[in-house]
Amino acid sequence: MRVSFCTDLDKSVVVTNCEKRGWIQVGPEDDWNIYWAGTQTCRSLFSVDSGYRMNDNQLINHFPNHYEISRKDLLVKNIKRYRRDLEKEGNMMAERGDSKYLHLDFIPVTFVLPADYNMFVEEYRKAPQSTWIMKPCGRSQGSGIFLINKLSKLKRWSRESKTPFQQQLTKESYVISKYIDNPLLIGGKKFDLRLYVLVTSFRPLKAYQFKLGFCRFCTVKYDSSVAELDNMYVHLTNVSVQKHGGEYNSLHGGKLSVQNLRLYLESTRGKKVTEKLFDEISWLIIHCLKAIAPVIATDRHCFECYGYDIIIDNKLKPWLIEVNASPSLTSTTANDRILKHKLLDNIFNIVVPPCGIPDVRWNKIPPAEALGDFELLIDEDLLNLNENGENGSMRNSKWK
Amino acid sequence: MTDLKDQSIHHMTVKICEDLRSSAQYKMLFEDVQKLVSTPNVKIDDFKMTLLKTMQEHGLEAELKNSIYRWVKTKRKETTPYDSFFRKAQIHWDKRIHKSLNSMCSELGISLAKTRGNNEKEELTNKWNELSNYEADIQKYRPVYAPKDFLEVLLNLKGPNREKVKNENHRWEFAQLPLRVKNLSELRNLYLEISRGDQILTGGGGNSINPHHAALETERISLGEKVLAKNYAPLAQEYLKKGCPKCLRARMWTLLLGAEVRSSQIAYFEGLKQNVLQYDLMIDKLIIKDISLTASNDDQYFVFEDVLYQVMLCFSRDPEILKNLPNQPAFMQVSFKGKTNAPENTIVFPPSGVIPFHGFTMYAAPFCYLFDNSVELYFAFRAFYLRYWHRLHRVCSSSQGVVSLCLQFEKLLQCYEPNLWNHFKKCRIYPLRVVIKWIMRAFSGHLAPEQLLTLWDLIIAYDSLEIIPLLAVVIVVFRKDNLMKVNTLTNVEAVLADLSSIAVIPLLQMALMKDS
Repeated sequence: MRVSFCTDLDKSVVVTNCEKRGWIQVGPEDDWNIYWAGTQTCRSLFSVDSGYRMNDNQLINHFPNHYEISRKDLLVKNIKRYRRDLEKEGNMMAERGDSKYLHLDFIPVTFVLPADYNMFVEEYRKAPQSTWIMKPCGRSQGSGIFLINKLSKLKRWSRESKTPFQQQLTKESYVISKYIDNPLLIGGKKFDLRLYVLVTSFRPLKAYQFKLGFCRFCTVKYDSSVAELDNMYVHLTNVSVQKHGGEYNSLHGGKLSVQNLRLYLESTRGKKVTEKLFDEISWLIIHCLKAIAPVIATDRHCFECYGYDIIIDNKLKPWLIEVNASPSLTSTTANDRILKHKLLDNIFNIVVPPCGIPDVRWNKIPPAEALGDFELLIDEDLLNLNENGENGSMRNSKWK
Repeated sequence: MTDLKDQSIHHMTVKICEDLRSSAQYKMLFEDVQKLVSTPNVKIDDFKMTLLKTMQEHGLEAELKNSIYRWVKTKRKETTPYDSFFRKAQIHWDKRIHKSLNSMCSELGISLAKTRGNNEKEELTNKWNELSNYEADIQKYRPVYAPKDFLEVLLNLKGPNREKVKNENHRWEFAQLPLRVKNLSELRNLYLEISRGDQILTGGGGNSINPHHAALETERISLGEKVLAKNYAPLAQEYLKKGCPKCLRARMWTLLLGAEVRSSQIAYFEGLKQNVLQYDLMIDKLIIKDISLTASNDDQYFVFEDVLYQVMLCFSRDPEILKNLPNQPAFMQVSFKGKTNAPENTIVFPPSGVIPFHGFTMYAAPFCYLFDNSVELYFAFRAFYLRYWHRLHRVCSSSQGVVSLCLQFEKLLQCYEPNLWNHFKKCRIYPLRVVIKWIMRAFSGHLAPEQLLTLWDLIIAYDSLEIIPLLAVVIVVFRKDNLMKVNTLTNVEAVLADLSSIAVIPLLQMALMKDS
């Protein structure tokens, strides 16, 4: 049997990876085994109207309701609910101190506007003059984002967006989050981390973290002063934003590898704090996935690769900013191309069973050598195996 | 005989004392000793013994020992009968560089040195922390020379004995130079820990889950902490031979190189900065150009661009460098534009005596991974330069100089891979042309930073640059199969272009442990 693939994205990294495996490209109407689709295509495929039923030898790269993690408002809602549920159970992880969650405090304080406006005002009054960041829930790549440090500015914004000419805008909901105004700077510049996480199943949860992420740097020196509040080149690390800045360099694209970040941190700050930081990052990824696991429509045909955006503050605490369900596969530099090629290659190695033919009946426990640059974050199947049989087979997971 | 020996020790001691007394650290040391003397621990009736004891307790003895150790390292002098020959060649080369600088100046209609105007000075002061935003018109400037130009100079060295070699038939090897370099078995003796297969902590795998590596690292860290607590440089040197954990490297290097930063160093650096702000030297543009051509475009170093501007500009102003370089380079005396030639209006150009070549910035760039603070970075980099890097871009007869290192590369390759050597020769490809940039930059910008720092650990651990040509040969040999398949310079360069996957320690082990 020849494996066939289909893609509606014009991404050379997808096509070359599939062709390298000897898979044949087919159209969406044909028999395909692997579909690398955009989120829209995927949603319509799963919709009731389409009437499409997948067979056992078909895999697709999105879960039907991935927006539970990728929409900024829903992610926050799911994480808040997860924490409340754990708290009700009396789970240690939901322990609080000084009103904050001790172990699950990994997203900046966030409210959905206009719905939570009153709650936001209450929180804002606790620390007036602090800076908040407004983001439209459904957009990406930094569009529509702005910073505010006065309630009056928010009021003006809401007045303006309610004018009859902009009826459209009022429908758009926003999230407003406490701005991380003490980011870790390297060479005086702000950056965020882009990490890749592959999920092959939510119930039981099976997730892998890609070792080769990168930092995306702003091209301009960081400056938290009010005067620079509207200068997005200072605040936003998105490549799509920075690209338009005069300082953008297309040879490195403002990207530094995570390995080099680690070298820098271990050399200048020490091993313990660096390890703690990276452990906390894995911790937040896992709990973010656990928070959405109950609401994801799980389907054995699906796997998904998420782009996690994380900001590290100057106390070396990681903050989850957002999760992207279709991280960019466009390569901005030569190294980027190598990284994304490896990413796709390793994803296919994990989601396709060792026999080489997609099969949803497979137990989705890939052999260690298939992981490549991925590391096992969590596999609840293996955890259960371990609890039931004494001769635990979990060698790789750092997470009990 | 004993008398003679005593006498020479005596001379040496006098010399050391003189040099120490004139060194920058002396004042601090003397003040610290004075403070100790005033404590009750030092008794007047047994002054010498009690003072020595107190000095030991307060770590001053270790510091004094370190100073002497470093003095010995930097003053080490080898002499060969060909010193004057190489010295002449270097002076000739220096003159060519100066000529080229002068003609660039007249071409661009600028002067080598002038006082900065107030506006310019103010702008530079304001942008000191973000010099990448300082608008300097560097469009028309070009690097004075590149590694391949320097290789031409080296290849044209006729050698003092050249006339004796009759039959030349296009021998482009360095072999005509009567320098003695180590062969593989001598290198095996030098790098004993590597060649006998001792366990060495490798720079690899950031979050590798290899439990073996983790255990070794923990062990090395606890030993390293003890070494640092002793504050004794020779111990640090020994320690580095078996690999340094990332988290201790900055402190280990600082100790070994004597690059500790105290208030006097901070003030000294500030003085260099003031000099940059005060005077506009033509070399500033060359430095800015070099950074913008190298580090700014490099995905390993671009984030550190602003720090590098500070460090490299200050470096050019540092007269200590010129003073401490063995074989002082020829330098120019330049008077400021529009001023008379009176002594108060003239300066040594550049004050450091060092004129950067294309890629010079890369000597400093890797230090950015180790030091957050530009003053600490500066002194570690300067110490490294004074000990090692200056030998990589100057013509000298030292066994550590670039000429010997090139010769060593050739001889190793010729001896141990004659097939490959002949292949190159048949295709008329000169392998040194490809690897000269590795050698001149000590692999900076070529290896991944973590691997590079591991290599530099070995340089200071064994106090020798001979590891560089050795690694160059090993990499070439490692890619032999692919090299044998190509026969043009461009393709050879392509095979050797990407070193990002090279792991230094395993490769060196492979070469040094072979058939032993």
